[in-house]
Amino acid sequence: MKKRGVGVGCMWYGIGNTGAPNPAGAFLDFLEDGTVLVLTGCADIGQGSSTVLAQIAAEELGVPVEDVLVAAGDTGVSPDAGATSASRQTYISGNAVRLAARQAKQVLLAEAAQMLGAPAEDLETGEGRIRQKSTGKSVSIKEVLAGCRARGKLTLGSGWFNPLTTVLDGAGQGVPYATYSFATQVAEVEVDTETGKVRVLRIVAAHDVGRAVNPQAVEGQIEGGCAMGIGYALTEEVQVASGEIKNTNFSAYILPMSLDMPEIYSIIVEEPEPTGPFGAKGVGEPALIPTAAAVANAVADALGVRFYELPITLEKVVQAVSGPEK
Amino acid sequence: MTVKIREKELPNVDFPGEESPERESPESGTFERAGFQAIGKSFPRVDGAAKVTGRAQFAADLHLPGMLFARVLRSRVPHAVLRSVETAEALAVPGVVAVYTAADIPGQNSVGIIVKDEPVLVGRGERIRRVGDPLALVVGESEEALETALLKIKVDYEPLPAVFSALEAMADYAPKVHGNSNIQSVTRIIRGDADSALAAARVVISRRYTTQMAEHAYLETEAGVAAIENGLLTIRVSTQNPHYDRREVARVLGTGQHRVRIVQAVTGGGFGGKLDVSVQCLLGLAAWKTGRPVKMVYPREESVIASPKRHPFIIDYTSAADGEGRLTAVKVRIIGDTGAYASYGPATLKRAAVHAAGPYEVPNVFIEAFCVYTNNPTAGAMRGFGVPQIAFAHESQMDLLAQALGLDPFEIRLRNCLKAGSVTATGQRLQAGVGIAETIRRAREKARELGMLER
Repeated sequence: MKKRGVGVGCMWYGIGNTGAPNPAGAFLDFLEDGTVLVLTGCADIGQGSSTVLAQIAAEELGVPVEDVLVAAGDTGVSPDAGATSASRQTYISGNAVRLAARQAKQVLLAEAAQMLGAPAEDLETGEGRIRQKSTGKSVSIKEVLAGCRARGKLTLGSGWFNPLTTVLDGAGQGVPYATYSFATQVAEVEVDTETGKVRVLRIVAAHDVGRAVNPQAVEGQIEGGCAMGIGYALTEEVQVASGEIKNTNFSAYILPMSLDMPEIYSIIVEEPEPTGPFGAKGVGEPALIPTAAAVANAVADALGVRFYELPITLEKVVQAVSGPEK
Repeated sequence: MTVKIREKELPNVDFPGEESPERESPESGTFERAGFQAIGKSFPRVDGAAKVTGRAQFAADLHLPGMLFARVLRSRVPHAVLRSVETAEALAVPGVVAVYTAADIPGQNSVGIIVKDEPVLVGRGERIRRVGDPLALVVGESEEALETALLKIKVDYEPLPAVFSALEAMADYAPKVHGNSNIQSVTRIIRGDADSALAAARVVISRRYTTQMAEHAYLETEAGVAAIENGLLTIRVSTQNPHYDRREVARVLGTGQHRVRIVQAVTGGGFGGKLDVSVQCLLGLAAWKTGRPVKMVYPREESVIASPKRHPFIIDYTSAADGEGRLTAVKVRIIGDTGAYASYGPATLKRAAVHAAGPYEVPNVFIEAFCVYTNNPTAGAMRGFGVPQIAFAHESQMDLLAQALGLDPFEIRLRNCLKAGSVTATGQRLQAGVGIAETIRRAREKARELGMLER
């Protein structure tokens, strides 16, 4: 018999290391043709940080994203940005890059102020130009850069950011994180009581990520997180006997495949974080965290039997439904 | 407070027109919506084209002239004293250039992000603490020569009693993995008076939850290429933290950090499993000693054996609520098996403790988290750092409370969730950016719209 159920999972997640300093730095070089080089220690491991940091630099400087190159993760040239972990790089390296961009921009604005005969505070950047807000008079960024170079001025910036936290005291009291991401996922499952197979049919995933710098990248993280969470809930388990791993390859360590994926409805909730770069927080780990909880609650809803042990394997389901609790 | 919602446009799904998210969430002036030219737009990934066309060069794709290869001999036993490693026969294999043991390490023979408790290579007279501990490094002209050489190394060891259960490891009589206690770290979070609140509660739910050890399963296994370039040791490696790698390699080689350059190679996933050093120090040692470029790529089996895992947890969770379903207290004990080495274990257990109450306001908490050494495979960082485990527990508890009180699962969460001004279990008053209620409402609305909540 096939039984359906729905379950909810909520989570919160502190961005960055727990009650410990974890700064990130960035260098920025505004080149004379108007393109931008960002040097960062932030390792893009496929999650998309180099794209996000390019967007942040482009926004701050008012240049097209295509004109920004992020050179990442080379200790020979880039400052330390700490680990790509704890969902921290958009928030922490994002701030570092924004601050580096701001510093380079100050040089540019001072030059533009002279060229336009306007106070620097009255200037804004955008679409490749620097504009006087009160009069609308403007000059192209390339002209300003040429002006800088003519006077022997380089347009460099450096920035670093460390989230404001405190070390937890003996009773665990303090400020472990400067900001948190939040999420709610709702999973719908169908359980085959004969085979024990749990099929996840649909997941609604609502994630508060602060400002979504790149919405498609956020959705990508959410979908990947759901996949990983389904494996964690149902099939993945490293089997260890006397300290030795028995399933050392993927014929015996069962990962969910594309055909196991449910329809995922991603909802991006933007609760801007005042200390984040343009309000951004993070999503890398939050994407996965509530999934197993939601799936487990959905299985309990379907069967009227709750599992207290992960993963909820075929064998456990069959045993539970054929046992005395049936 | 600004709450902005953007929903993915899905084909074949009807959105009720009268429930516009914009109307529900009026915009404040704090954050300009209009005017952003780069933020909030789905630009294509800068690395996308190179990856989908196969042009991206991962570490395993790199070839340097005169390049050697390296492999590690690993322990097959979980706990022992290493008596000797005989390398003469392996060295005689044609194509083998060198076999290195702990005695060849010029600097400190230890690594670890939080505690330096893990050897790069186990030394003679030192302890093997897990299956997979590295014992010798073989360097040669071809992978085939290395395969043969690995079989010719003779290892002599004296077995020691081992411990494979975190609960047993906490007992006085258990064999010790490091020092005098297997309890690596303890985190306590205490606020209010949990016991009194439990005694006064309308509903109390106590359960034990257990979670499994899990593998990251990144597509690309650990890999790197090292070479001395203009006097500088340069390592191109798949990693999540190049600057940490530099610190470790310099310390292990006994040289200045300025003599070591780590270049992150295109990296095929990490999920926390590439935060610890893997091939970095071994590659550094081989290139430093031979003066030639050296490459190392873990086969999948070795990647699974050698890399840290997601911590298995045992969670004893007690929740208490009043008649309206408001949480009055939680009492939680978490035991995490970190295996043979600390890796990110202390951080994982601390984070699990900090998040144990869930995204809810709970006035009285007593939370303890123990990070425990055993002779199991090392557990370290994995996407979520202990929070997926604890979320499974606190969310099961919320459903059990809802059931006991006859409340809807969404409703009990909305009644308890954090908001601006809330105080967390660590006493932190949240100022802004608290969107949990909005995610619950939006998820429920969508699930309802899709017919998922119909009974």
